[in-house]
Amino acid sequence: MAAFILRRVIWTIPVILLVILMTFGLMKNIGGNPFRKTDRAVTPQTQANLERKFNLDKPWYQQYALYVKGVFTFDFGPSLAQPGRDVNEYVKEQFPRSIKLGLLAFVWAILLGFPAGVIAALRPNSIVDYSVMFFSNIGFAVPSFLVATLLIYYFAVKIDLVPTSGWPLGFWSLDSRVLLPSFALGLLPMAYFARLVRGSMLETFQQDYVRTARAKGLRYRRIVGLHVLRNSLIPVVTAAGPLLGFLITGSFIIEYIFSIPGIGRGFVSGVQNRDYSVVMALTVLLSLVVIVANLVVDILYGFLDPRTRETGR
Amino acid sequence: MVVDRRETALEIAGKTPFAPEIGEAAGAPVRQSSLWRDAFRRYTRNKAAVASGVIFIGMCLYCLLIPGFWKIPGIWTSIFDIDPNDADFGQTYLSPSLEHPFGTDGFGRDLFTRTALGGQISIAIGFAATFAILVIGVTYGSISGFVGGRLDNAMMRFLDALYGLPYLPFAILTIQIVSDQGAVDFKTMVIALAIASWFTTARIVRGQIMTLKQNDYVRAAKAVGARWYRVLSRHLLPNTLGILIIAVFLELPGVVLGEAILSFVGLGINPPDASWGSMAQEGREAYRLHPIEIVIPGVAIATLVICANFIADGLRDALDPRTRET
Amino acid sequence: MRRNRWLLLVAALVAVLAFGAAGCGGDDDDAAAEETGATDGGQPAAEQVFRIGWGAEPPSLDPGKATDTTSSNVLLALMDPLVRLNPDTLAAEPALAESWEVDGNTVTFNLRDDATWTNGDPVTANDFVYSWKRTLSPELAADYAYQLYGITGAAEYNGCEKNCEALADAVGVTAVDDYTLQVELTSPQPWFVQQASHHSFLPVHQATVEEFGDNWTDPENIVTNGPFMLESWDHDASINMVKNPNYRDAANVSLERIEGPIIVDGTTRVQSFEAGEIDALDGAGLPPEEIERLKTEPYYEQYPALGTYYYGFNTKNISDVNERKALSLAINRKIITDEIDRTGRDQATGMTPKGIEGFDVINPNSPWLPPEGDMEEAQALYAEVQNPHSKINLFHNDAPGHKEIAVAVQDMWKELGVETTIKAQEWAQYLEFLGPPPNKAVDVYRLGWIYDFPDAINGLELFTCDSGNNNTNWCNKDYDALVEQAKSEADANARWELYRQMEGIMFDEDGEVPLTPIMWYTYPNLENDAVRDTFFISPLDQIDFTKVVVQGS
Repeated sequence: MAAFILRRVIWTIPVILLVILMTFGLMKNIGGNPFRKTDRAVTPQTQANLERKFNLDKPWYQQYALYVKGVFTFDFGPSLAQPGRDVNEYVKEQFPRSIKLGLLAFVWAILLGFPAGVIAALRPNSIVDYSVMFFSNIGFAVPSFLVATLLIYYFAVKIDLVPTSGWPLGFWSLDSRVLLPSFALGLLPMAYFARLVRGSMLETFQQDYVRTARAKGLRYRRIVGLHVLRNSLIPVVTAAGPLLGFLITGSFIIEYIFSIPGIGRGFVSGVQNRDYSVVMALTVLLSLVVIVANLVVDILYGFLDPRTRETGR
Repeated sequence: MVVDRRETALEIAGKTPFAPEIGEAAGAPVRQSSLWRDAFRRYTRNKAAVASGVIFIGMCLYCLLIPGFWKIPGIWTSIFDIDPNDADFGQTYLSPSLEHPFGTDGFGRDLFTRTALGGQISIAIGFAATFAILVIGVTYGSISGFVGGRLDNAMMRFLDALYGLPYLPFAILTIQIVSDQGAVDFKTMVIALAIASWFTTARIVRGQIMTLKQNDYVRAAKAVGARWYRVLSRHLLPNTLGILIIAVFLELPGVVLGEAILSFVGLGINPPDASWGSMAQEGREAYRLHPIEIVIPGVAIATLVICANFIADGLRDALDPRTRET
Repeated sequence: MRRNRWLLLVAALVAVLAFGAAGCGGDDDDAAAEETGATDGGQPAAEQVFRIGWGAEPPSLDPGKATDTTSSNVLLALMDPLVRLNPDTLAAEPALAESWEVDGNTVTFNLRDDATWTNGDPVTANDFVYSWKRTLSPELAADYAYQLYGITGAAEYNGCEKNCEALADAVGVTAVDDYTLQVELTSPQPWFVQQASHHSFLPVHQATVEEFGDNWTDPENIVTNGPFMLESWDHDASINMVKNPNYRDAANVSLERIEGPIIVDGTTRVQSFEAGEIDALDGAGLPPEEIERLKTEPYYEQYPALGTYYYGFNTKNISDVNERKALSLAINRKIITDEIDRTGRDQATGMTPKGIEGFDVINPNSPWLPPEGDMEEAQALYAEVQNPHSKINLFHNDAPGHKEIAVAVQDMWKELGVETTIKAQEWAQYLEFLGPPPNKAVDVYRLGWIYDFPDAINGLELFTCDSGNNNTNWCNKDYDALVEQAKSEADANARWELYRQMEGIMFDEDGEVPLTPIMWYTYPNLENDAVRDTFFISPLDQIDFTKVVVQGS
């Protein structure tokens, strides 16, 4: 096990380098001038000065080397598009907010999705089952920006239950503003969990050992609690990792609509403003998140399902 | 050797858009004719899947026939003879009527025809992108799965790296590089969506190939001296076919929704052409006064996605009754 | 079992429809009910707290580096400019400068002696000398350095690569004594005093900047001299300001606090306002589709703006002037302003917008810019063109509103027999694409110009041969000569005549029509009853918070 973990961790390094290279290549290729924000032309003198200041006049391999060095020393330099802001600070401020949003969405997904899936599996083909499946379909099918807009309209404007936008900034602080955005973001994972849990449980019910347990005369609850639930957890856990990664990185739309100052939005603005420092830093960060999430899942999976521990897959 | 233990059992309706690998699947030698006939029979027993199929085909027909192939004159004539891109400012925001079953939009364009036209583009993008995803995913996954060992490890780690690039900025970057002077047309959208979404399929295919590889008949084929391409094409890929067909209908919603999201960001299809995604984005702003502008594309997208899900479920049950998610 | 699954499918679809349909339904009641601050009396509220919804995060609060409207407005609240502009006449009114004298190329500002920084230091002329030279310094690489190029030695210093101290000393701004600031200009530039109201001319506190470097604008470090102080700045989240009790004119400032959440999405901004969470928006724009509904509400306001929205031609591609004239004639601007844009903008009849002083003299009332277009004439003219384009590429950036206008124009040009391909590009790429010189695929492009100061030269000089903002490939030496002449002409009326000639070269009967202006900007905004009477946005997109009073109920 330890060897497995170590190997995976070591592999992270070339992966990160590859990510940096790809992002670097992509950013260089889309062109655009990070220093020209308005339609007013930038004078050639100013352009030259700025390029010099940010090392953009050096050849590409030197720039790449500088970036790599920056990554490994955790110094991502100043932001190009927002003069005076340091990327490190920027990430330190904004990243926890996205994490919080992602975690809260995850909480919704578990809180509502998991029990819903369990209940649906316990009463297959009943009204309960259909309601669950129905809501999970909605969660998948309607584009998130539509859902978010309508949610704001109902709950914030029409009945004024919660504010329309904004986000409590401290990591541990919570107020009513977190409800709508996390719910909107959590809809898709919620639906996904419900279906996954339901499917997995139903499948487990068919397993021979469950049938044996029933034949033996074990009480239903014990069967469910002991055998079925635990084994159904496996696919859920497998899915949870990348899902969490997705939640943290894929929240641009929600952050934009609800005015949440997080990195999802920051990343897209960075791309639009050609703010190379911000884009590089966030790419590395987000890749790390995903890689770590996958690694954790693989490890957990190894614990949960002894069968996979033996061979390297 | 395939015993369908589920003949009387409950059906599983799980779906895995973020697919973890599929561990085991039916690995019997392929008896072509009876497999497909069996599958078709099983499929038609699933009323929901059949209904979805019907609705889906209905939508495709609506999208094709109503505006007609008006860009190719002479082949079809449009039923109502209305040009969906013809702006007429005297007729903006009309309520539904006989002449305009869905009313008109802010430019006075008939919404009924426009939705159909949008559907053409959305569905076409959906299938084209999905096809592209399959091509890339299958190639990558089968090479990785089949060769195994170090190459597989490296390729999977590379895939990890790609997973790390967040979807939206990656799609934006791709659009800007691929597009023709930054304007988003059909081809650009398809390529961008495909490039941003093929990873899951590759993983699934790889997992499938790896499992199948262990099977006896493959080993037997290798022992007999079959070349790798023969093993791949004759034994492995056909057994993957079922998964792939399902994958089409699984990826389709993702692609359609992805297109809607890109439209929201402003990188939708060039006007005056519309897709349901760009119509949804326009409708989002007008919904207070003209809710029909948000309802129609929203319902259209949702219907497409839901139908695709049910079809995928039906296909999965029909083609691979012993598939399990692990 | 199967039947039930089918039921499920039906139920799902029905509910999707219901969900959508529920999005309709009467909603005229909520807005009125949600408003805060009923306005029966003219009594100021006990708590003078003003909540404004900013439309964007200001990239920087350093006057040397700020380029956008949000930064500009925040800075004008935090700092005290030399002059402020009267919102109606746009004439310069004393602020930090009590008075000024203009003598040929020399402008002398006499500063007040009672203005102080928030840390107690007095504001002196040296602060201005330091600040302006800093903005011009090549190290700072300020985007808006060009605003100060009217000062002698400025352009040279800004363009310097090394050993720049001598050039820095040669810049024509000096502190004659602590409260007298003398500026040497390259030419009379009669608009200079008005231009000094721009945020690029604001002073910064030297010791603070030198101590904290790039972080000097952080709320705990920043030192300002204006009517308000920066209380907190949570990036991308909010900017809060409080009244500066030591401000020289604090007695006349009513607001105690300005709370400013940053809401970037237009629809969310409107929703936030209608839920009563903010008192006003900052003029950053409303979603075009919502305008129709919002216009009927009492809280909708519209301000004329000094800016022109135009379509430029790539005169290398569309080289036949008759073709350009025909395309210009075919555009029915009234439909665009009334049916599509709907924010009460005026159809443009020339480049210089209404509201610029001397407009009546300057405006050419171009025969090629008839408000309702002239399709017959256009078609007739088009028939005379040799080798007319049957396909045209129209580029615009992907911000809200432009697509709809482009579609309308596309439809109008279709009647000429031109098939227009609309290409929307993302902003940064768009700007690069336009050059100058513009990419050869560009036939027509969309741009707008918001004036920096209220003189026609600001817009007209865009189209000189060397201008970095001339994307038309059009170059006319006579035009350039007139521009130079105008810059040296001190007499207003004479200048306006020159401007008329410039407009004439472009838009008269025999004009060259390198671009076709579509309309002149307005700023549509939402303001609730509590602030509507005292809150306004000037034609240069500036907000004066010192005048705002929150009415109570």
